Amino acid sequence: MKSIRARLVIALTILVAMVSMLAAIVTYRRVLNETSDLFDYQLRQMALSLRGQITMAPQIEVPPDQGDSDFVVQIWDLFGTRVYLSRPGLPMINQVVLGYTNLSLRGEGWRAYGLQTPQGVIQIAQPIRVREALARAAALRVVIPLVLLLPVMVAFVAWIVGRGLLPLRHVTAEVQRRDIHGLSPLVAPNLPLEIAPLVNELNRLLARLEKSFLAQRAFIADAAHELRSPLTALRLQLQLLDRAPDPVARRCARERLGAAVERSIHLVEQLLTLARSDPGETSPSFEPVDLAVVAAAAISDSRILAMTRHIDIGLDAEPSSVVQGESEGLRTLARNLIDNAVRYTPPGGSVAVRCRPTADGAVLEVIDTGPGISPADRERVFDRFYRHPNATENGTGLGLAIVKAIADRHAAHVRLAEAPSGGLRVTVNFPKPS
Amino acid sequence: MRVLLVEDDVMIAQGLETALRQIGAAVDWIRDGEHAAAALRGTVFDVVLLDLGLPNRDGINILRELRQRGDATPVIILTARDEIRNRVAGLDAGADDYVVKPFDLDELTARMRSVLRRAAGRGDPLIQHGDLCLDPAAHSVEYKGAPVNLSAHEYAVLEALLQRPGAVMSRAQLEDRLYGWDEPIGSNAVEVYIHGLRRKLGSEVIRTLRGVGYFIPKS
Repeated sequence: MKSIRARLVIALTILVAMVSMLAAIVTYRRVLNETSDLFDYQLRQMALSLRGQITMAPQIEVPPDQGDSDFVVQIWDLFGTRVYLSRPGLPMINQVVLGYTNLSLRGEGWRAYGLQTPQGVIQIAQPIRVREALARAAALRVVIPLVLLLPVMVAFVAWIVGRGLLPLRHVTAEVQRRDIHGLSPLVAPNLPLEIAPLVNELNRLLARLEKSFLAQRAFIADAAHELRSPLTALRLQLQLLDRAPDPVARRCARERLGAAVERSIHLVEQLLTLARSDPGETSPSFEPVDLAVVAAAAISDSRILAMTRHIDIGLDAEPSSVVQGESEGLRTLARNLIDNAVRYTPPGGSVAVRCRPTADGAVLEVIDTGPGISPADRERVFDRFYRHPNATENGTGLGLAIVKAIADRHAAHVRLAEAPSGGLRVTVNFPKPS
Repeated sequence: MRVLLVEDDVMIAQGLETALRQIGAAVDWIRDGEHAAAALRGTVFDVVLLDLGLPNRDGINILRELRQRGDATPVIILTARDEIRNRVAGLDAGADDYVVKPFDLDELTARMRSVLRRAAGRGDPLIQHGDLCLDPAAHSVEYKGAPVNLSAHEYAVLEALLQRPGAVMSRAQLEDRLYGWDEPIGSNAVEVYIHGLRRKLGSEVIRTLRGVGYFIPKS
């Protein structure tokens, strides 16, 4: 059964019913017993009250019973002769037992009390059947209200359970009102202790969701905006190709169209890489990765660009520069750093890639002989789509944002500084594998 | 037609430059906001194509400064910002038109012709003058009802002189209409084009004011 309400109502109803039944049974029994005691007491009182009459006039003729009484009175004199029988037609046992006793007379049980007086013996008897009928009636009178109260109690239980669960229903209604655009915290004042932590956690989750949702939306808006530029270039060059007046113009337009296509592809790839590097996007499977291997792979990725730009790339790797990470992501990180260095370094310059183990883990460094990045810009360059105002390269503005995202996922720290040559020195510090 | 192209995206700028030169416009390309503002202070352009997200200075800011000076040079904003509020802000800052990237080249040139027409106070898309009829959209010229075949530069000289009939334009002014800053100018290029025009349209169409320049007489 899934409903707390139904479960509570049923369990409590059963409990109430059982307790009521138990109470009824116990009460019934006790009332029976007490009534029996009461009847016994009555027998004795009757006997005691008759005692005086015998004393006063032992031979007095007590008027015979009319037969409408349950009681049978017998009186014996000192010689054992029955001097009185209240219901003459009734053959009573001519036998005296002092005190209380149960007699059996022709299959019917009787309760009797015998009292010794100086003048004789008085015995009062009553049929047990009558006593029991009376006792049962008395007991039932006590028990019936209890049974009749049962439905009322069940209704009360249902009502109390419903009231108790009311805050839960309020919270449910609050949650039901939410959609993807309404991620504001739930407002439910005076919550019971049991529900408050749930709502608090829910609000925390909503806050996280809203933050990531807004970031996602901003990213999509930025991405769409950024896609317009290469698409504009594409469309322009395509139209220029169509209207090129001569073969030279056509070849030029075709080359530029190709470059525009490459640029669009590059931007889309960078966007995808960034989307995949977002923390929480995938659960990365970390394994020991040698930075030297990653750096060598990244260098070979950028080799052709470096050759066309006449830039010398060198790798200086110390052994066991091992970090805990995802090799594909780390390769992307290194490739973006090396690619940037190659693009922004003037022809004839050099790019040095270094990796070495440190006391705290391992470090990857990319040092170029380019113009460097001014200290004022060193924070902003990590922003998505940020491009330096004087940048001449058709970059996407995503390279360092990707580096940052991948570094964050590896709990690594990226630092930009000036190289001794005046170029840029990017240092990525990786923590020790735990 | 002299165009100032303010655009920081190299690929887009190169494409536009090529396209506009093909229709005989003189194109000056500037990548950065500060330089664009300086160029607008020093040179007269027929039309400005202005990107908004520029390094160093925002396009809207440049436009405001231009209009505050009372400069009515037609300005078309070329931008990737397509939201209504951006368009409204651009037009309210003094832009004559607002084109969102990625734009169509034909549409852009049509809009350029449209703002030029309005700037010249003409409603007719065709420029009629006496026996001459210019169609700026098709870059075609008819003289006495017969089509005349003009080179792009000849057309540009004729169009420049027809913008204000009667007004004299010096050789330097005509060169400004024909060439951007970085284009090499032949020493007697303007004379060559005038000569070509006179050969095709008759010597009476364009008059010379010796030592001053050229003009097309008011009819």
